[in-house]
Amino acid sequence: MEVTTWTEKYRPKTLDEIRNQIEIVGRLKKFAETMTMPHCLFAGPPGTGKTTASLCLAHDIFGEKYADAFMELNASDSRGIDIIRTTVKEFARIATISGLPFKILVLDEADNMTGDAQHALRRTMERFTGTCRFILCCNYSGRIIEPIQSRCAVFRFTPLKEDDVVGYLKEIAQKERVQLLQDGLKGIVKISEGDLRKAVNTLQAAASLGKAVDEKSVFLVAGQAKPEDVKEMLDLALGGDFVEARNKLRMMLVEYGLSGVEIIKQVHSEIFNMKVPEKKKVSLADVIGEVDYRISQGADEEVQLSAMLARLALVAGEFGKK
Amino acid sequence: MTVPWVTKHRPKHLKEIIGNEEARQSFLKWLESWEKTDKSKKAALLYGPAGTGKTVTVEAAASDVGYDLIEVNASDERTEGALQKVAGLAATQGGLFGRKRMILLDEIDGINLNQDRGAVAAVGDIIEKTSCPIVLTANDPWDPKIRPLRNACALIEFKRLSGKDCLPYLKKIATEEKLEVDEKTLKFIVERNDGDMRSVMNDLETFSKGRKKLSYDDVSSLAYRDRKENVFGALGMIFNAKNALYARKAVDVADVDYEMLFEWVYENLPHQLRDPEDLASGMEALAKADIYLSRIRRTQEWSLLPFAFDMMTAGIAMSRERTKPAWIPMKFPQRISYLARMRKERNMMKTIGAKIGRRCHMSTRASVRQELPYIRFIFQKSPTVAATMATYFGFNEEAIGYLAGTEKRASKIISLIGTAAE
Repeated sequence: MEVTTWTEKYRPKTLDEIRNQIEIVGRLKKFAETMTMPHCLFAGPPGTGKTTASLCLAHDIFGEKYADAFMELNASDSRGIDIIRTTVKEFARIATISGLPFKILVLDEADNMTGDAQHALRRTMERFTGTCRFILCCNYSGRIIEPIQSRCAVFRFTPLKEDDVVGYLKEIAQKERVQLLQDGLKGIVKISEGDLRKAVNTLQAAASLGKAVDEKSVFLVAGQAKPEDVKEMLDLALGGDFVEARNKLRMMLVEYGLSGVEIIKQVHSEIFNMKVPEKKKVSLADVIGEVDYRISQGADEEVQLSAMLARLALVAGEFGKK
Repeated sequence: MTVPWVTKHRPKHLKEIIGNEEARQSFLKWLESWEKTDKSKKAALLYGPAGTGKTVTVEAAASDVGYDLIEVNASDERTEGALQKVAGLAATQGGLFGRKRMILLDEIDGINLNQDRGAVAAVGDIIEKTSCPIVLTANDPWDPKIRPLRNACALIEFKRLSGKDCLPYLKKIATEEKLEVDEKTLKFIVERNDGDMRSVMNDLETFSKGRKKLSYDDVSSLAYRDRKENVFGALGMIFNAKNALYARKAVDVADVDYEMLFEWVYENLPHQLRDPEDLASGMEALAKADIYLSRIRRTQEWSLLPFAFDMMTAGIAMSRERTKPAWIPMKFPQRISYLARMRKERNMMKTIGAKIGRRCHMSTRASVRQELPYIRFIFQKSPTVAATMATYFGFNEEAIGYLAGTEKRASKIISLIGTAAE
């Protein structure tokens, strides 16, 4: 069947085809050459090539027999402890019959696994090292328990450089016979912020309009296909519009199914870039930490996060007056 | 001749009772298990708003199953001594001619702690030692007074009756009373009384005095009983009170349960406390109330409830320091209607997300966030690309309809898929 999404169609198949994350790819190639590898932890923001790198690595090591020895689990769909005890264990404990040295199991979005599940995973990883190597992908390595981190080679994926994004986009546009204008290209690069998935998706959506891709069409896509937008929520709160910020929060929680913890992580990474006095940043970090704890104790995500937004609005307002 | 309708038409058998089917079934089940020696829950607590059929269910069940019913209700003096008499009866099995006994302690939350000293303990004692089934009824099962009793009871909830529940029954009564009345009018009376059957009957009787025919116009001019206004009254107290105790009373005034009251406060807080500092402080008080409520959910430690109430009433009222008084109408909690509206949509997005995830090496959640917005855009702009994508991901017609947004676009995409298949 024809692959219709460009992110899949143009996903590199081998490590050689990956052009960014040169350092990381270089080390992974060594694994493929020597046919050995440790357990790995791939950490980094979305759209930076974690899943692609693991798929390519497995491909380069296993070649044709890929299907026998490779499994991919999306940890956040099935992140309970049960799946670790059953599916993962079953796969990991049995050696391949194809004469391959080991199997590879990729656990995507591993930072969404519960603590219990991670501890169960740690034992499984240790016991079956002989037959199976694990690659854990995550956005935030801080959410992976230390015992697992210490058993893995950690690779940090960084947002793509502008030149790399431009290179990929131009290549795809050429192959798909899409006329990509300079201002359109610039727009995509700006919007995607080094997230290649976002960049390619934006290009494809803009191209579906059937015209040359220019700045206007790019922003039309960006305006309508706005996914999670923690930043926008923060801007609303900082601008003093609590009610709208709360609506945005509700939308993210309900429609896009973000967890409160995910939102907290993103807010936390934003506060140090916010235009508020340095001292306030520290007290805001404290507020965020408190909200994180409350949510972990079972409090209502929206109510707690709203309280945080009200505090943000207050801090911004005080600052604005001075 | 002058028997009020409420009494005259009071159901005598279980099959005559309307609404709350589920609650009646679980009550009978409890009774059955009681007879079969499973006495782990020696008592049943039927709770719910007034006029939903709690007492009448017990009475009818007793008569249908064959019990002598010993009834103690709010109008009786419920001192310890009076209860001890009941206790004596409860401890011995069988009535005069060997008939089984059942004890009904009606409106148990009406116990006045000052006058009926020791009453709660006495009831607990009766439940402990009883050899016949004990039934308690209450409006508010979370009343701290009856907390010691709650654990010993099987809890059975009675909900407000809907117009649908009541209509056939009311029509039957109208026929018996030779009163001509249409559905719209009956429905209005039910709604006006918020499904309280007792007041529905009283209203119906009052309106029809001296009439053979009752029309909508006859009843519509009368205002709703103030159940709904009580929420607004309570909110007014919470947002404007100058002293903490007065604000705290709002919980008693509100005729919605505390969870609903919480939602009302949460919705209206930013509109009522417009000063940023007041708002931040009010939100923090509400967040604290939420923490208490979550602790209660987790530990079932209901003694924490008053503290949650303190935070969500007095905590809010005392946050108001700078906001100038202004009359701003209260809004219905958006979160509730939003969640109801989104439930269906969320399921649809999940189904679609799972299909995308299978192709794109992503979890359902990640697909919904990172891929679905773009795919939706394409489905609304380019039917040709959408058609190939629908085939690729295996979307069914319902999913296509959802993504396309309009029926016209959806049918175009579906017909394109058909052409491609040929």
